[in-house]
Amino acid sequence: MSTQRIKAIILQELYITKNSLEIIIDLFYFSVITIVVFGLVSVYLTGTNNPLSAQYILVGMILWEVIRITQYSISVGALWNIWSRNLSNMFVAPLTLSEYILATMIAGMIKTGIILVLISVIASFLFKFNILSIGVVNLILALVNLTIFSWSVGVIILAIIFRYGQRIQALAWGLVFLFQPLCAAFFPVSVLPEPLRTLAYVFPPTYVFEAARLGLVNHSTNWNAMGVSFAQNIVYFVVSLLFFNYMFNKSKDIGQFAKNEG
Amino acid sequence: MQNNVLEVKNLTKNFRSSAGEFTAVDNISFSIKQGDAVGFLGPNGAGKTTTIQMLLGITNVTSGSIQYFGKDFFKHKQQCLQRINFTSAFNTLQGRISVWENLIVFATLYNVKNPKEKIMNLINYFNSESLLNQRYWNLSAGQKTRINFIKSLLNDPELILMDEPTASLDPDVVDKTLSLIEELKDKRNLTILYTSHNMNEITRICNKVIFLDHGQIVAQDSPLSLTKRIGSAKLQITFDGDKEKLENYLKEKRTTYSFIKKYIVVINTQEKDIPGIIFGISKSGIWIADIEVKKPTLEDFFLQIARGGISVNSKN
Repeated sequence: MSTQRIKAIILQELYITKNSLEIIIDLFYFSVITIVVFGLVSVYLTGTNNPLSAQYILVGMILWEVIRITQYSISVGALWNIWSRNLSNMFVAPLTLSEYILATMIAGMIKTGIILVLISVIASFLFKFNILSIGVVNLILALVNLTIFSWSVGVIILAIIFRYGQRIQALAWGLVFLFQPLCAAFFPVSVLPEPLRTLAYVFPPTYVFEAARLGLVNHSTNWNAMGVSFAQNIVYFVVSLLFFNYMFNKSKDIGQFAKNEG
Repeated sequence: MQNNVLEVKNLTKNFRSSAGEFTAVDNISFSIKQGDAVGFLGPNGAGKTTTIQMLLGITNVTSGSIQYFGKDFFKHKQQCLQRINFTSAFNTLQGRISVWENLIVFATLYNVKNPKEKIMNLINYFNSESLLNQRYWNLSAGQKTRINFIKSLLNDPELILMDEPTASLDPDVVDKTLSLIEELKDKRNLTILYTSHNMNEITRICNKVIFLDHGQIVAQDSPLSLTKRIGSAKLQITFDGDKEKLENYLKEKRTTYSFIKKYIVVINTQEKDIPGIIFGISKSGIWIADIEVKKPTLEDFFLQIARGGISVNSKN
């Protein structure tokens, strides 16, 4: 594995991000507007004697952005190169698949880190909500778990894009939102109807959101929930890499990878 | 002694679909020596692009082997790719970022020592200083081609695969691009694998041509030798005299001919028979005002292959 080549992909991600209004809107603008809207909703809920629900929404929103931004960065990052007909150029350089994926993961983490700080500061100043109130250890564990989960989702979507081409590119933006209700990002799992309640516990973020909400109440670290989430994440991550490897090879077998750029 | 830069043995690619199995590349073998400029030709669907994609590792092979610089491509992919590069009219660089940013990314990908110096040297060589800070997608087709060439030279490749690098360029830019390729070839002793539908380009750039048809190599030779295989030529004669007498002579000689104007006839014949025909026409009392011999070109060879006029069993 070459650090130079990983650096090259991260550098390209940085250049594309700073030059693309669409990315700035998709990531920074969307995140800021969302936190402001949800912050105002939380203010309203606080006024209706439901302060805990208000905090649930804000903590859910801030943590949800970790999933959205990291996954977006991995999946859509490849699309920018496919749309520019540049992906082949990169893969005929001595770039390995693992270097490429690792670089997009790191780039996603950098973007997520910047936006997380930004929206946390906004939440703190405008809505008097401190994300650290879920507990520092809880927050770190939540970030680790959500990041790994979003890597898995990002890699799976990337695999599907490489295999089926641009015709399913909408998944890069849309698929992740399927997990928003299923993982009970903004409300307790108990709110979900029974079949979905059971299904929710199949996804690692469910445990994270539950642990974060519990942290708001008792300020303790929910090691058990975070541990289950982490264990599930390992399985998801390994499966996503195997799936990616299979789909990438399939794509090269049928000639789709070279055709992705039209 | 020249070494093989690329050696391909029994390369095959089958695609499976609901309609059945289709062989895009059928057991082809060839080699390219250092300093060679090899034209890769064939009608649409001949298997050129699939072969190039396999040579670059972006399409899997069904069977066969590829060796670059004596090393197995499948076992030493990164090492091989480090020593080659690729440029195509169909693959562009990242449009959203500047030329400089694109080149920095690729210089880093290829682990170029002193990347900024290297880029500036190439930018100066290609007189492209004014393009550095422009977004790639704002460049004209000719400018993009130049920048693509710069990208393909960043790692000082020993072999460049060029897939129709002049497609969709205007004739002036095509000429400049070809001059550039000729200069690069001479000054850097570059080895080139060049695909194009333009026979004049191939004749100008390449010292060897590989013809593919239906996934198989039907011929590989120098452009001149390939055209010699056709044998036939067109003899155009502008004459003054009795047309009927000329027709009688040509019928007697069993040639095929056509009058493109009242006093201009085009005779299809073998190259070796041309002197005899001219002599015979003169001898029959017809005054020849002008003679033009149209020798077969690479394009004629290409057309014969495309129309099935040359069999797979012809000399390779």
